[in-house]
Amino acid sequence: MKLHHKGFLLITLSKTGSMWDYQLIKKVFDEYGESGDFREKTLRIALDELSAAGLIKRIENKIETNKDKEKLLFKYQLSDFGISRMVDTGLLLP
Amino acid sequence: MNVSNSILKQALHKHYARNQRWGFMWALWTAVLWGAWYVPGTALWYEHPYIDISVDNQSLRLAATAVMTWIHAITVFFFLLIWNLVLGKLKDYGRTIVRFRKISKWYALASLCGGPLAIFGSYMAMGFIGPVFAAISSLFYPVIGAVIARLWYKEKISQRAAIGMCIIIFGGMVIYGPSLFGEMDASNPNAWLGYLGGIMSAIGWGSEGAVAGRAMDVSDPDVGIHCRFSFEILFWGLLILPFIAMFSDLPIKNLIIDTLTHGKAMLWIVLAAACHAYCYTAFYKSFSLIGVGRGEAIGNLYAVFALIFIAAFTLQLPQWYFILGLIITVAGSFVMFSESAESVAELRENNDIKVYP
Repeated sequence: MKLHHKGFLLITLSKTGSMWDYQLIKKVFDEYGESGDFREKTLRIALDELSAAGLIKRIENKIETNKDKEKLLFKYQLSDFGISRMVDTGLLLP
Repeated sequence: MNVSNSILKQALHKHYARNQRWGFMWALWTAVLWGAWYVPGTALWYEHPYIDISVDNQSLRLAATAVMTWIHAITVFFFLLIWNLVLGKLKDYGRTIVRFRKISKWYALASLCGGPLAIFGSYMAMGFIGPVFAAISSLFYPVIGAVIARLWYKEKISQRAAIGMCIIIFGGMVIYGPSLFGEMDASNPNAWLGYLGGIMSAIGWGSEGAVAGRAMDVSDPDVGIHCRFSFEILFWGLLILPFIAMFSDLPIKNLIIDTLTHGKAMLWIVLAAACHAYCYTAFYKSFSLIGVGRGEAIGNLYAVFALIFIAAFTLQLPQWYFILGLIITVAGSFVMFSESAESVAELRENNDIKVYP
């Protein structure tokens, strides 16, 4: 069985070091065969939650304009606390 | 360059403000729905089959409490099923609950603290004493949560949090004091079970937060709460109730059938479960956006809403010392958790949250 979404986001970050949110969302969409604005918003909220809990850190930000609509984008990296929580919950080997 | 910088700054400010607003809104919803829960939760005791049980029949009343807590948990499960179906999170629920050894076992443990201790204790407090006492006696739970986090996770307790905890404990003494000095319910020989229920609810909810926190960090809050209630149903349905039915002569089967076949009892259970399902969901969601501490501080306003709802439905004002205890305890919870974002971040030794404006 596949990993749950937050677990997949954390493992992807642990493998790549750091990643922009749109890249992470694309990875999830490819892995789980998902698409759409609603799913994208759900994943952005998941990233906000991981960040508020201190498991991941925002290391860069930028604004992208698409069809006159501005979108705030973040680049994420795992925090030390995130790594230790991943070890606690079996997502990462000690 | 400067213009684009200021646009970026504005966008960041809007983003963080929106997240915080959502966090506080979820916490406020928790308080409103939690407060509302005490009305149907108490009304249930005034319907068949529960009203037929005499006040002196301690063991039957406790068995009835266990039955109502189990049926309540099943109903909450169905409300959460609808919620996660609409949000498209059912698959994620399956993916989370199967990782038992490392993730969902914490939800299983949290369900033991929240169900057989906290919700069962609250129904006991409502049944043996009354809804106002049940609502206010649980206000202790942030103190229990902070103490467990200190002993287990080695989380720091700041000076401010310690002062807040002392105020909450003082508020608790005001609530429990009159009964300890025999001023209250001298006519009710089983009142002690209600007081015990109040203490159980505070210990249960305090430890539930600390235990669920482990798994909640790496899983979705909507899914997490669904896992927690799934385990609670199993504990009651496969372990506790069959055990009581087998080793005592209490009519567990009859109580279940009578509850399910009495429309009014089921109506109150459905209303209580709707309040509880979405109150818990909002609670877990607020934790993940504004932190457990601030979520609990605002969530603790539930007792204010409970008093308002109970007074509105029963047209009876609570005892003066309940109101005094409520004011002191809520004030204490705000002192305990009104820390800056920096110090909340420091609890986890992560500086990222310092970018919040």
